[in-house]
Amino acid sequence: MLNIVKKTALAGALILSAGAALAQYPEKPIEVIVGYSAGGGTDVMARTAAPFIEKYLGEGASLVVKNMPGASGQIGVTEAANADPDGYTLGTFNLPGMMARTIDREADYDRDSFTYLANVVNDPNVIVTSKKSGLDTLDKLIAEATENPLAITVGMSSLGGDDHFALIKLQNATETEFTIVPFKGSAPARTALLGGHVAMGILNISEVAEFQDQLNVLGVATNERSEFAPDLPTFKEQGLDLVNGSMRGFIAPAGLPEDVQGKLIDAFTQMANDQEFLDAMAATANPVEVVTGEEFKALTSDLYDLAKDVWDTTPWN
Amino acid sequence: MPASKTPRLARPETLTALGIILVAAGFLIPTFEQRAISALLPATMLIGLIVLSVLLLVSDQRKAAAGEDAQPMTKSPKRVIGAFGLIVAYALATDFIGFYVSTAVTIPLVAWIFGYRNPLGLLIATLIVTGTIWAIFDFGMSQDFPAGRLWER
Amino acid sequence: MYSDLLHALPDVFSLANFAAVVIGVISGIVVGAMPGLSATMAISVLVPFTFGLEPLVALGLMAGIYNGAMYGGAIPAVLLRIPGTPAAVATTFDGYPMAQKGEGGFALQVAVVSSAFGGIASAFALMLLAPPLSKVTLLFGPSEVFWVAIFGLASIIFLLGGNPVKGLISACFGVFVSVVGSDPIYGNDRFTFGQLEMLDGINIVILLVGLYALPPVIDLLETPLKTSGVQSSKLGTEPIWKALPRMKTYWTTWLRGSFIGIWIGILPGAGGSMAAFMSYNEARRTSKTPETWGEGEPEGVAAAEVANNADTASALIPALTLGIPGTAVAAVMLGGLLVHGLQPGPMLFRDNPDIVFGFMWQFLFGAILLIILGGSLATNSFARLLNLPRPLLGSVIIVLMLIGVYSIHGRMFDVYLMLGFGAVGWVMDRLKFPLPPVVLGLILGGFAEENLRLALRIGRGDPMVLFQNTTSLILVALTVAVIVGPSLKKRFIDKKKVDDDAAG
Repeated sequence: MLNIVKKTALAGALILSAGAALAQYPEKPIEVIVGYSAGGGTDVMARTAAPFIEKYLGEGASLVVKNMPGASGQIGVTEAANADPDGYTLGTFNLPGMMARTIDREADYDRDSFTYLANVVNDPNVIVTSKKSGLDTLDKLIAEATENPLAITVGMSSLGGDDHFALIKLQNATETEFTIVPFKGSAPARTALLGGHVAMGILNISEVAEFQDQLNVLGVATNERSEFAPDLPTFKEQGLDLVNGSMRGFIAPAGLPEDVQGKLIDAFTQMANDQEFLDAMAATANPVEVVTGEEFKALTSDLYDLAKDVWDTTPWN
Repeated sequence: MPASKTPRLARPETLTALGIILVAAGFLIPTFEQRAISALLPATMLIGLIVLSVLLLVSDQRKAAAGEDAQPMTKSPKRVIGAFGLIVAYALATDFIGFYVSTAVTIPLVAWIFGYRNPLGLLIATLIVTGTIWAIFDFGMSQDFPAGRLWER
Repeated sequence: MYSDLLHALPDVFSLANFAAVVIGVISGIVVGAMPGLSATMAISVLVPFTFGLEPLVALGLMAGIYNGAMYGGAIPAVLLRIPGTPAAVATTFDGYPMAQKGEGGFALQVAVVSSAFGGIASAFALMLLAPPLSKVTLLFGPSEVFWVAIFGLASIIFLLGGNPVKGLISACFGVFVSVVGSDPIYGNDRFTFGQLEMLDGINIVILLVGLYALPPVIDLLETPLKTSGVQSSKLGTEPIWKALPRMKTYWTTWLRGSFIGIWIGILPGAGGSMAAFMSYNEARRTSKTPETWGEGEPEGVAAAEVANNADTASALIPALTLGIPGTAVAAVMLGGLLVHGLQPGPMLFRDNPDIVFGFMWQFLFGAILLIILGGSLATNSFARLLNLPRPLLGSVIIVLMLIGVYSIHGRMFDVYLMLGFGAVGWVMDRLKFPLPPVVLGLILGGFAEENLRLALRIGRGDPMVLFQNTTSLILVALTVAVIVGPSLKKRFIDKKKVDDDAAG
């Protein structure tokens, strides 16, 4: 493994004129900008990952997490996008949120503003219904929605997020219509479901894992069953093509020197196979699915296109 | 102080009421571009502010007509403006020059200007306050205060 | 469950865990007592730091800080009329007049005993009744929460002060500030002028520091000739055991305040200051001598302080069981729990009983320690600190204000915003516009709007959804009673008087 690192460093040194200095990367602490307060899902991911990145970057690397909360992460990601691309400022990145913000709001960045390092968490959407509603299978839910358009109220966190896109996909696939009730965050939405104030909810699997007994969880929006809840069938198994989720990863500003980028992506790749890291993430309810570099970039582009498509047909604000 | 000294329109309450009316009316403009349901609460509050300010204005003018003198806002406007100006300057200095330098200068400066002139006391107070803040926030909690935008890059 | 509770006890008494609570309470009192610094800010600074600590040490610190700060906020509220935390606003009503009458020491003693009482009651509610109380939370959907907010807003009419027009202007201003930010349903900007920093709305601490702390600082600097802050001779401190007998008539106020505090705590979103306002209003309404309230009635301090501590532990009931915090401080604490992998939910009590129940014990001990640490040590030293020469005190408070506001989100924008509110606050202070309606309006205005609009969405536009269940109807009846009640009572008494006169 160390060999590869050395080779990458060497290659970098040959390619770049400033290579000699950069080969030492990192020679000072690396700042990771988190767009949310300490203790949020994204923050916990960054702080859990930090020691492992340090370990695999080697040579006494140190990561410092800096919280810049506000505007659903937009303040932090804008700061990261506009930082010097020297490898000493990284940022966390949330999908589809960060791309949706470039569509529904003015943003000082776009999808080309970043060097894509690695997506670490993929938290798939689930459809849940309240016990009161009596809609305890997907078929019943779709039948009811077809019969009475708009009669089913759907609790979710804010418009223009992954929950919303999952619902749009569901509506398009089944030609149904629901009444959206966007709460501020998923915990209030979940509480309204528990109390039976809304009939259905679209949440993420990590958010309902602890509440499986109090809610009907109808399925999970993944290609294969989630390790997080292996008993839970996917929608595909139930004949509904619905794959969607909330993703969290790491980016750097665009134009990162290639050797630095290589070193970082390498560290993320090694981290993805570290059992200790996987255990730590499981303990904080973060389903891990690591996608690095170009693949991550392609994923972001796809999500942008989807969001743009939705916005053009049904703008949400 | 004879009542005639304050012109009717320069009475503090009248001026404040006029100020509120102007600002509230200004804020009303963007509500026309918002969705009706979005604009409902803010517009209601702004209209409420305008109506209430009109009432305030009328009652204050009645008092003026009755020859009641308005209470002056302050006996020493220079000191008030000076104090507020210093606080704003301190915030700007923190932003541009850096927190610790600005704080170490501001504490003794403000206290000195406003009448506390014991050099030893000033020195001790400045050292204790700045030192404690550094020890708790920077050293203990690794909390960064602004380092000064001027020195960045 | 109760055996789990006892099982968790030994861990709490381990040296590090217990020391954490003690340090937490002391730092909480200090933070609360410093004008400008708030519990929200202290815990949000602490959360990233606790990542490397043992869970019970981290949680003990937070429990201690929360309890300590809710009392500490009373110290400057009494001595300087600057509420140290948002929840201490109602403490200024009678606490400051008491200090001016030379009863500041007694006011602080009432505050510390009441705070401890509320904290202990709340901790017991959390320890013994968390699961059933979380079911109560579930009864409150958007339409019910909307009525709770309206109930709270209705109490503004008791806070209008001498001039109702000015009081209403204050209230409208507060509600207007609460709608700044993104629209609760659609997320589009309202009055943010393109500033991303304003998109999440204006944090209550920013407004509070500006409105309440800046005008007194300018006062301190404006009249420098009086070089003393608060004369310690006038503080009138006597040993706390001598003061206790004078408080024995406050039992009903304490019990009522605890009940209100616990109840507000388990409802998501309203929190601290609303509990204190409501408890104060209820206590005054039922008092035999309502005319002494606002003039330095110790029972008013008791009512406000018991309630703002009674919602500390109970705010964690919905936070731990449902993931929805009952107060702003509990919201930050929830982050501290997540950092340690403690996911809120019913499984939490099964998966980590020692930590969760240990945390509850820490709340209880935090509240008890408050009497010992707050009663003797902290109060006296703080009273002395506030005794600094006025210009020096003013300049130190300016620094604290900047730190307190900057540290919430780590940005200067908030500091400038706070200074703007400070200028507004100074004018309001000078022209005798009451400030409490601004605070209540800010807390409850946007909150009411959000829940109303969620409720209307659930009812698909039909306003009848607001009256469809018993909980809502009870709340509507209560609101009407609060508004109409006093005038009916007055008419009844007046009539009775006339009858008596006629009979006599």
